[in-house]
Amino acid sequence: MATGTQSRDDNGALHWTDRLQRFDRRWIFLAMGLAIVLPLLFPIGLPIKVGSMAQATYNTVEEVKAGDVVFVSLDLDPASTPELEPFYKAVILQLKRKGARLVFATTWYQAPPLVERWIRDAVERPLAPAGTEGYSGAPDRAYKKNVDYVLLGFREGKQATIANMGADLRKTFDYEANDGTPLDQIPMMNGIKQLKDFKLLVLVSAGFPGAKEYVQFVQNRYKLRMVAACTAVSTTDLTPYYQAGQLLGLIGGLAAAAEYESLVGKHGSASAGADVLNITHGVVILAIVFGNLIYFIGRRRARTRARR
Amino acid sequence: MVPLPLIDIIGFWLGIFLTFCILSFLYKDNPFYKLAEHVFVGISLGYVVITQWEDTIEVKLIDQISQGWWKLIPLVLVALMFVKAASKKLAWVGRFPIAIVVGLVAGLSINAVVQSELGAQIRFAAQPLVENKVDLNTAPAEALASVPGVSPAVAQKLVDERAQRPFTSVDDAVTRPSLDPAERAILDEERGGLVGVDAHADVAADQIDWFGLLSNVLLLLGLLSSLIYFYFSAAHKGVIGRISRFGVWVIMIGFGASFGFTVQGRIALAIGRAQDVLGQNLAAADAERVHGAWAALISVLIIVAGIVGWELYEKRKAGSGAAPGGAH
Repeated sequence: MATGTQSRDDNGALHWTDRLQRFDRRWIFLAMGLAIVLPLLFPIGLPIKVGSMAQATYNTVEEVKAGDVVFVSLDLDPASTPELEPFYKAVILQLKRKGARLVFATTWYQAPPLVERWIRDAVERPLAPAGTEGYSGAPDRAYKKNVDYVLLGFREGKQATIANMGADLRKTFDYEANDGTPLDQIPMMNGIKQLKDFKLLVLVSAGFPGAKEYVQFVQNRYKLRMVAACTAVSTTDLTPYYQAGQLLGLIGGLAAAAEYESLVGKHGSASAGADVLNITHGVVILAIVFGNLIYFIGRRRARTRARR
Repeated sequence: MVPLPLIDIIGFWLGIFLTFCILSFLYKDNPFYKLAEHVFVGISLGYVVITQWEDTIEVKLIDQISQGWWKLIPLVLVALMFVKAASKKLAWVGRFPIAIVVGLVAGLSINAVVQSELGAQIRFAAQPLVENKVDLNTAPAEALASVPGVSPAVAQKLVDERAQRPFTSVDDAVTRPSLDPAERAILDEERGGLVGVDAHADVAADQIDWFGLLSNVLLLLGLLSSLIYFYFSAAHKGVIGRISRFGVWVIMIGFGASFGFTVQGRIALAIGRAQDVLGQNLAAADAERVHGAWAALISVLIIVAGIVGWELYEKRKAGSGAAPGGAH
């Protein structure tokens, strides 16, 4: 990178600080690439410290009892999968082993194919059957559609849909599940008419509409018990809701998802990514410190030369 | 276990190939990068059009028209927006649908946002710097009744409830069945004065939470100084200027936290792609069917061979183009 401070010595060669400022940025990409791939291939197993927000989320979900119906809103797109899927799998395992029944919905038009795959992979299949290596918790089982879980599907309308679900969930989804089964014919939906009839709301949210809109449009009005997982970028936006008690738990990004996996006791892709996060952040910090150091040394040298 | 469908396996292979196509931009702009970029934009757009048609226009408009003439209103409103294109004189008609949409969203949002953002957030920000805590599981009924808003009747209900099963958290107490909704709301509001075992109140009764006190003081100073930074009716000089400067630091710390989380988010995306390529996001049986490492190797070979061929072709084209010019 050329700067106005660059200078040459008596032989006409660039000073080392200028040479370093001009070096090809693709070396940084290479360093980041190696910092990502190598720890995935050769895991170090750095310790994961559980924070208070992950602990609060876990405690709140632990209060769910066998037979309770929990609403899971998957408001996301494929781009947010790496950050949100680990928490989703961990919380679904926790809910399944507690014997909770699940109702899924989404307010994102990009989500339905993803939601169907996630349900197939984590709900219809056991996530931790008996004998799973490295897992000491209670095993979960395969859930059956419209018996143990219901997929309501997608409705357009963004925050209006969320407000409608708060007032009348059945009407919002035209009184039927995503596969066309009337909700009246699904025994686990007995007594479920609006969002406040659920024991807990688990919001897996990548942006708008998502956890923030659930807080704004239904939590305050119906005093709902909600926990949320969001992408790292949204964490600072949602933290005030957690601090004010509007969200009973918050999982922000992959690092917090790794904490959640360790609480649930099932090593997943977030735990595998925890080493990578630590190392890559180290690389980023080193690059920032090193880059600033080189810049200031170069600037000081240029000023000294100018004074002469 | 149900095996991974073939369509998903092909999806993984395509995903791996397109990932390396995008990474090939690190060499330079090339046909493989362009292919991935165009496929992404094209599929995204096609998907949006189809889902909006199937899930919204077809279901919420076309299918509804047969149920009554008033269902045509949305269609008429949309049609009004096109009047502007036909006549400049009647362009004002197009403002009606926009006004209806803006009014609808504003009406829906104002009350919700005021209650959830202003009400709850101000209540949280206006908490006392130091609070006397009362332990839900051990305090006698009189002590529980000393919490503002908790009546002796509610205190007695709490004592009865904990005798059946100790409270695991303030939330647990708030949701016990013997409490009616009004009593729950009061308890929920007073959660700062209660001690459960949840993360919101991890200080024992009669202890001062020094960390909480410091946090509250910082919160108060940060809140006021940030607000003053955005107060433009007074010149930012002297004391106001210094407070406003502190406010800028507080805001910058907030931006720094957001930036840090953004970096984490971007790295998480890269980790996700790497895990997909390495087959680490799949169950062992599925990973064996996908053969991610082989798909990655073949993708890289195709892209490298393709770029070499493309470079040779470009060189030859440039050479044959330059030859006539060179002859002059």
